[in-house]
Amino acid sequence: MKKIRFFIAMLAGKITLFGLKLLGRNATFLPGKIAVAIDKNFLAGLTPPKTVIAVTGTNGKTTVSNLLNSILLSNGYSVTNNSLGSNVQAGVATALLEDSTLTGKAKKEIAVLEVDERSSLRIYPYLKPDYLICNNIMRDSLARNAHTEFISFIINKALPKSTKVILNADDLVCATLAPGNQERIYFGLDVDKIHEEGPLYLQDIVYCPHCGGLLTPEYLRYNHIGRMHCEKCDFRSPEPDFAITEINKDENKFTVMHNGISESYYLINDNIVNLYNFCGLIALLSTMGLSHKQISDGFAKSKIVKTRYDKLQSGDLTITMQLSKGQNPTACARCFSYVAKCPGNNKAIIFVGDDFEASESPCWFYDSNYSYLADPSINQIIFSGPRCMDQYLRAQMAGIPTDKIRTITDSTAGTELLDTQLSKDIYVLYGPYMVKQANLVKEKLIAIGAGGEDK
Amino acid sequence: MIVEILFQEVCGLYGDSQNPTYLEATLPDAQFIYTKLTDVPYFVNNTPDIIYIGCMSESTQRRVIETLRPYKDRICTLIDNGTPILATGNAGEIFTKTISYVSENIETEGLGIFDLQVKTDLFNRYNAMVLGELNDIKIVGFRSQFSFLYGDNSNSYFIKCIRGDGINPESKLEGMRKNNLICTQLLGPILPLNPLFCEYFLGLAGVQATAAYRESAMNAYEQRLREFSDPKIPFKHD
Ligand SMILES: [Zn+2]
Repeated sequence: MKKIRFFIAMLAGKITLFGLKLLGRNATFLPGKIAVAIDKNFLAGLTPPKTVIAVTGTNGKTTVSNLLNSILLSNGYSVTNNSLGSNVQAGVATALLEDSTLTGKAKKEIAVLEVDERSSLRIYPYLKPDYLICNNIMRDSLARNAHTEFISFIINKALPKSTKVILNADDLVCATLAPGNQERIYFGLDVDKIHEEGPLYLQDIVYCPHCGGLLTPEYLRYNHIGRMHCEKCDFRSPEPDFAITEINKDENKFTVMHNGISESYYLINDNIVNLYNFCGLIALLSTMGLSHKQISDGFAKSKIVKTRYDKLQSGDLTITMQLSKGQNPTACARCFSYVAKCPGNNKAIIFVGDDFEASESPCWFYDSNYSYLADPSINQIIFSGPRCMDQYLRAQMAGIPTDKIRTITDSTAGTELLDTQLSKDIYVLYGPYMVKQANLVKEKLIAIGAGGEDK
Repeated sequence: MIVEILFQEVCGLYGDSQNPTYLEATLPDAQFIYTKLTDVPYFVNNTPDIIYIGCMSESTQRRVIETLRPYKDRICTLIDNGTPILATGNAGEIFTKTISYVSENIETEGLGIFDLQVKTDLFNRYNAMVLGELNDIKIVGFRSQFSFLYGDNSNSYFIKCIRGDGINPESKLEGMRKNNLICTQLLGPILPLNPLFCEYFLGLAGVQATAAYRESAMNAYEQRLREFSDPKIPFKHD
């Protein structure tokens, strides 16, 4: 009976997949949804690929799973992955059923599965990952993800004890994940230990999880990312097994130390969240047995997809398109910090604000560190979209001079307020649901740069 | 004027941490005392003019209750004497009788100021908006919570809901109030989002202050009020 149910679910999933493809539609969710609706143990019924890797964490999981996929493919492995689709149970099921035989046997060697943290309970009990890589656990959408303790609670409840965990040593919420899992590999950044301690209220771990004492930071890069120890007991941030020890931006290289040996890799992007992503990837791939050459050749062939980051020139305007995940206060603050630190002294930021039909909650603006935007190198800030007045107030509260701020309700009209005499470096920040509108803004900027609409 | 902010290092989730920032901007001459969870609260031996506490995780909530339990009598005295206390999000729950954390199988006794029970279920998140009325002031706010309150708050509520739910989906009376202790499940930057309420709350402390950045705060508030009054805008969301 169990087998028949599974077979019907597989068949229905495959037919849906075939039908959607025939119609030229995206098949990243529905086939899996149907299969799981027919057989709730569908994932458990599959014979999964030899190696199953789960990629999870608040920020960077799409980048990590994309890179992981491309490095493994470039080394000749066959890989199933859901990086183009959905990262909830139905998306994982869709990716796996697509690459399975009708009896559920995997046709590929490795599965790279991006897993939304909240979906852990619907995935890991059925499909036991061999490896789980988690880059960070930070505050995220408050409506869906609540707080970091909740996310840890869910992952810990779901993850099998046998899974090898690859964790960020510089994030104590992440590093203390899955306490029952014996095989633990830590990665971190042993370089640029800049103590950029932000407000204490943005730290998601303040007290010792063992004794409750106040944790003392050795340094904190942002939020709770850094190294801390407890004064009352011996609890401290774990030592990284893989650590970035050098970053050479001029030569696009970075160095990773492991077991006393330093090896160099191609630097695709120097955003700090990405440096952690890269180090985590190297830790994982090395643990899986890939050689330095295999990994570094893979890095050299990879890049970050253009929908997340893109830089172009139009006339004397430099246009940087940067995905800045709405509702996610830490991801946005990272983008603000990145823009502030980029070279140049006449930057403008255009926020392509979400234009949801509902009256969006602005609470997350207040959970994000807007003070980075007060950097003197940023001389124009344009908030567009229905929440522009909320953004204005939030920015004002963060100490940004109001003569730098402009607002406009239309999410695609930010360029109308831009003074190109003041700024030549234009950064466009937009959420994942606003790619289309952001591209429209990009086109307008290209036209302005080319002199078509000079203002 | 002295404002005590309780445990902000762990009670500042969801943007609640910016309520004290807004108060600081509104009351530039006031002294702000940020009490850590490991400190003896200032109110134990002194009388602050205002006390604020914001949103926290469930395990922090249990620790906060145990931290405050020895000072329960002092807290009752402050409430009886009319000290303005504002608790946002799930902070107000510490003043109820019991909290059942059903998904963790834990039951905790609260400080018992309000004869209400809390049920917290980590597998059910509730996200919604509220448009309510406090005397003639309209309150706009957002909630994202694992918990509902049960019991009778008909003589001890914060606002009457025009749209949205009260302490639970069957209630139209939001929050809890005793003298100047105001507890609301609305979370986040409730003061900058409601400059009129901010001025009202400060009035309870005998201060006639103008809310900080009043013009931009009022612009955002009035726009939200228009949106919340639009019947096409849904009040519950994922
Ligand atoms: Zn300790």
